[in-house]
Amino acid sequence: MFNKLYERLYVKVLVNIVIRHKKTTVYIEILNKSGLLHSYEEEFDAKYLSMEMYEYIMSYTKETPYFYISILDASSSQGAIPTCSKHKVGYFQDLSASEYKCYKERWTYYTAKTDVYAIEKVYEKIGVDFIFSPFVLLANFFKDKIDTHLAMFILVQEGSLSLSIFNNSQLLYAEHLDMELEITSDELIDDNDIAEIEKEMQESIDLDDIASLDDLDELDSDDDFSDIADLDSIDELDELDDFDETKDIEEELAENEDMQDFPIQDSDGMNEDFQRFSLIQSAVNTFYKDEKFESEFIENIYIGDGVGVSSDLKRYLEEEMFLNVYIRHLDLAGELCTIAKMELS
Amino acid sequence: MIYSYIKPRKKSLFTPEMQLLSIFFGITIFMLLGTYLFLLFKDYRFTQDRSEIIELREETSMEIDLIEKSIIYIQEEKVLSETVFTKNTVLKDSISNMFDLVPQRITLSEAKLLEDGLILHGVTPNKDIYNFMLQAPLRSIFHRTYSSFYPAENGWLHFVSTNYVDKEKDIVTKPEEEVEENIEEEIEYED
Repeated sequence: MFNKLYERLYVKVLVNIVIRHKKTTVYIEILNKSGLLHSYEEEFDAKYLSMEMYEYIMSYTKETPYFYISILDASSSQGAIPTCSKHKVGYFQDLSASEYKCYKERWTYYTAKTDVYAIEKVYEKIGVDFIFSPFVLLANFFKDKIDTHLAMFILVQEGSLSLSIFNNSQLLYAEHLDMELEITSDELIDDNDIAEIEKEMQESIDLDDIASLDDLDELDSDDDFSDIADLDSIDELDELDDFDETKDIEEELAENEDMQDFPIQDSDGMNEDFQRFSLIQSAVNTFYKDEKFESEFIENIYIGDGVGVSSDLKRYLEEEMFLNVYIRHLDLAGELCTIAKMELS
Repeated sequence: MIYSYIKPRKKSLFTPEMQLLSIFFGITIFMLLGTYLFLLFKDYRFTQDRSEIIELREETSMEIDLIEKSIIYIQEEKVLSETVFTKNTVLKDSISNMFDLVPQRITLSEAKLLEDGLILHGVTPNKDIYNFMLQAPLRSIFHRTYSSFYPAENGWLHFVSTNYVDKEKDIVTKPEEEVEENIEEEIEYED
């Protein structure tokens, strides 16, 4: 009882830490009982808790005993599986060495226990109150779409992708994909080479390799629909024939508005976007091929952009995979803070 | 813990600084309380000791009174004993002197020592021997001397000598002439 009274007397400080490729973003919100008082954001050139970062965080946290430090889990051994049942969990993933939680009794997200300990160890000077999975962040960010759509949802972070496929709030597939950002100078691609690479891509990307697209080809060419195992009805085929009907007009309008605030970069970071595209492509491949997952045909892809992807990624996805791509700009630290607030409430 | 992998740490007002502060104040209050209780105990002990000492003092003063009384009593006894001793010494000397006074030829049959006098009964061969050998020294000692004779069977004389010593104040108050007169009277009476 006294604790609640004291909580009302003191301001609440939410410290949100997002670890990027070579930097760390610290976003701080100071709240009182009526709401947000101040918010501050600072970037530090370190992946760990530097002295500068420690002093910056301590300058806010020392004012109140009611401060909460949240971290977005960036470990590579995390993921999500489409069940909450303990008996079925083993079918998808061995979680004996993992920390896992069930999301609204629908799906499970997990991470390695050692990674959780490592985070706690690295930040032991300031302490850690919450470690959130990027899948939770993604589910919360796209909750308006996830609940009603069948689509792929991707959270793009610097150095990683959290990819998930939802069908009306039921998770079908999820994977956390790490990118290889350490590209040597020899491997760097000049702007002059881009056109050449695109040309190569046109030639080299064999659509037959992608099972889903292979199916599409078959749908387009083959008149005998009964041979297609995945498609049960003609209605679905109609939908596949006419992509425009599946487009999310509302999201497109929102995206156009978003574009004005956060214009998508052109060609910059092309290497990264190509990597992202490759990773998405292989993940989709796995989703369609792996029998463990309930396959559904994906037409839309929603991207929560936390880094500022270039237009290339959208183009690759649209042109090569024939997906309707919607990109929403996402403030990772701000979204992390939203989840922390949800957790506290 | 809805979404987070870990539980948040318990938030409390008792931060390490607050803990240090509360420990410091706790120790201070404990020490103050301890000192207060110690003083309270000492005060109680002091009051108790004081009442004991007062009681002891009263007892001692009573004992002192008793001792003083006994000292006075002993002193009085000492004085008395000294008086008795002196008196006895005097008496002894008097008796010794008395027997020294009595000549060989006079025989005493009875002697009575009075507080202020001496009564002697005895036998003398004659009056002269008595008068010269016994009465003369008796007169020098006593203020008043009375002698009476009656004949014994063998021709000697029984005598009764009564001698008195006047008290000093009487002597002081009476003029010397009167004393002399008295002596003369006695002598006449003897004759």
